[in-house]
Amino acid sequence: MNAPRRPKTLRTLTATLLAAAMIGLAGCSSAPGTSTAAVNSTPKDGGTLRVGIVGGSAKDSLDAHSPVTHPDEARVIQLYETLATYDVNHKVEMALADKITPSADAKIWTVHLRDGLKFSNGKPITANDVIFTFKRITDPKAPMAGANAFSALNRDGLKAVDAQTIIFPFKTPFATFPDTVAQYSTGIVPVGYDPKNPVGSGPFMMKDFTAGQQSTFVKNPYYWRKGEPHLAAVTIIDFPDDTARVNALLGGQVDAIDQLPLGQINIVKANPALKVLESATGSWVPFTMRVDQPPFNDPKVRQAFRLIVDRKQMVEQVLGGHGTIGNDLYAPFDACYAKGIPQRSQNIAKARQLLAEAGKTNLSVDLVTSSAAAGMVEAAQVFAQQAKAAGVTVNVKKVDPGEFYGDKYLQWNFSQDFWFTRDFLPQTAASGFSNSPYNETHWDNKAWSDLVNKANATVDMTARCALIQQAQQIEFNDGGYIIWGFPNSVDAYSAAVQGFSPDKSGIPLTSFGFRSVWMNK
Amino acid sequence: MSRMLFRRSLFGLFTLWIVSIVVFLATQALPGDAAQAILGREATPERLAALRAQLHLGGSLPEQYFSWLGHVVTFNMGSSLASGNPVVDTIGPMVLNSTVLMFASAVIAIPLAVVIGTWSALKKDTGVDHVTGVVTLVLASLPEFVVGVLLVLLLSTGLLHLFPAVFVQIPGEHVWTHPDQLVLPVLTLVLAVSPYIIRIMRATMLEVLDSQYVQQARLKGLPEREVIWRHAIPNAIGPVAQVIALQLAWLIGGVVIVEYLFRFPGIGFELIDSVTNRDLPVIQALVIIIALFYVIVNLLADVVTLAVNPKVRTAQ
Repeated sequence: MNAPRRPKTLRTLTATLLAAAMIGLAGCSSAPGTSTAAVNSTPKDGGTLRVGIVGGSAKDSLDAHSPVTHPDEARVIQLYETLATYDVNHKVEMALADKITPSADAKIWTVHLRDGLKFSNGKPITANDVIFTFKRITDPKAPMAGANAFSALNRDGLKAVDAQTIIFPFKTPFATFPDTVAQYSTGIVPVGYDPKNPVGSGPFMMKDFTAGQQSTFVKNPYYWRKGEPHLAAVTIIDFPDDTARVNALLGGQVDAIDQLPLGQINIVKANPALKVLESATGSWVPFTMRVDQPPFNDPKVRQAFRLIVDRKQMVEQVLGGHGTIGNDLYAPFDACYAKGIPQRSQNIAKARQLLAEAGKTNLSVDLVTSSAAAGMVEAAQVFAQQAKAAGVTVNVKKVDPGEFYGDKYLQWNFSQDFWFTRDFLPQTAASGFSNSPYNETHWDNKAWSDLVNKANATVDMTARCALIQQAQQIEFNDGGYIIWGFPNSVDAYSAAVQGFSPDKSGIPLTSFGFRSVWMNK
Repeated sequence: MSRMLFRRSLFGLFTLWIVSIVVFLATQALPGDAAQAILGREATPERLAALRAQLHLGGSLPEQYFSWLGHVVTFNMGSSLASGNPVVDTIGPMVLNSTVLMFASAVIAIPLAVVIGTWSALKKDTGVDHVTGVVTLVLASLPEFVVGVLLVLLLSTGLLHLFPAVFVQIPGEHVWTHPDQLVLPVLTLVLAVSPYIIRIMRATMLEVLDSQYVQQARLKGLPEREVIWRHAIPNAIGPVAQVIALQLAWLIGGVVIVEYLFRFPGIGFELIDSVTNRDLPVIQALVIIIALFYVIVNLLADVVTLAVNPKVRTAQ
């Protein structure tokens, strides 16, 4: 196999060394799989789960609405519960709310809370707390992570009908409201919430927290789901380095880790004391072409670039086969996804012809990449190789993540980005409109925008799906993304841990769902 | 001698000042600021503006530098931009942890290396000497993270399961509460530092043993033990002290990679994080501490060299 050449950084070199040696050792180890004890299906209560999570830093925070590092995501999910949430198939289900109903024009949404909800300090969760939460998120003076998604919210019009019922008025129709309140950064907090004293509504509550090191959470006795959480405590340990995280799992210092490096998957699979959790996801690592800048302002050049990609080879080489191929469209798990559009595949002759028609033979472009997400740099290098066949020179320019997401982020002409699983409409709000916060491709298409706005205002599912599919057809023909595949999320855990299951969200370890996990020890 | 020490100390202070300017300019040259680094991709213009105002970022370069310098002179290192805690509280435990790690490594490595080096010289051209020579050469040529990874494989995750492979500290506990977690990082540093000291000790010792005053002592009929302890070692230790100092100074740099590998909560770990966060006050404080350590170690080496050299010690 013609593997992409990787930079011999310290991390890859150590990982390679480790992998090579481990394979050797696994080969001569004499313990064949002592058959794992039959899975005990009755959860046991108690025990502590220790989880090693990628990243973490002195900037770690427990703020419900402003998670900044990856371990922060894991922490807010333990501490705070949202009104709605996603199941493992990425379908919205109710959480703190038991009913979320739209008006006919989808401009007014009514949320009804379950009976008997309580915060971790024993105080009841009421409509006023919900209003406080969303006013805090959308505070114009200090907007939080979820603020953009609520730009159409008329925050002064938020109203408590009674202690359990809240009215959310919007300036424009907002059919995807339930999705938006299922995002983990919209957890419900009490009136007067202070992140220094993180009273929450989630399955666990804070015991201790050291930024950049670790944090421990204990069972919240007032959590609303019957019988959950099973664990007495969860300890989340930050691991900036891949090798240390895998070593901690191998050495039994943690019970689960997220984002198992590709090179380690077979080693962990060979170990009877460990299990691999692999989930197909809708997360994507696109190439982004600016449709308002030469050479990509010519749709023919964009089409040619999309025909250059050998998607199967991409998934094989960049993801080691742990992923599925893409069709230049996001939101593959959306119920309305345009399955009818035929799969695009590599066609170098057609690409050359399109480039010639555009007067762009012997094209040379810079591709700005960064190790901001796993697989980005490798994908850029594989693309550069594939482009040679079509006579296109791609100069891969690697910058550090700080620079990548610095002043020039969203200005790069030809670059990359990454996204977790989202349904179509929430994704368009984040990246599809000229006023979206992350419109990397500067996509601004009148016909497309009209269709999506109409879909947003259409509560009827069938009618909405028809509009969405038309919009996807436009993007398939003319869009600025090259979406070559969807990486699987691959985590690992000790065989003593029960209750993890594959999850489509792209958020590791069953969307950090430690509430349903238990220890079989 | 005290005049020389005074001169050296002044020069050390000057070095620290230059270091602070260089590091200040270098951090300014890094793309992006702390607000962008903290928010990362969540950095929408509104959130950036709010956070910049909150962190008091801004002002001209000289303004920022002199305001920082003014605070340092009054022993106020400011607050971390990333966590909002005072820098002293942030890096204090880290400095202590790294000191424990380096001290343990130095206390083991230096006597061990001096003894092995001397022994190897006394047994010149025997099997022991050849084995020492080859082993130290191999160790000296391996980067410390390779040594660390191999140790993990041998003693932790692969062949034997003797020691934990990473460092996991329970909040409120000291790093030495679980000495088994310290074994591998300390061993890595010992193996990284010792080979040079062993080799220079052997070479210097051989030279000294060939010298006329050692010949003379032997001809006078002094017992071999006394020849070595009274006459050979004191003369060999001078040049070795300089190498030890260099190795100690290297330790504080090598510790960065070793801490990262073992996830040890020390200054190296903190430094990598603060650079990623563009957390200027923390970077500055850490670099000044590292530079201070270099200056002090070199000063001590000079003192030792002088102390064992009667010619310099008694000179005016």
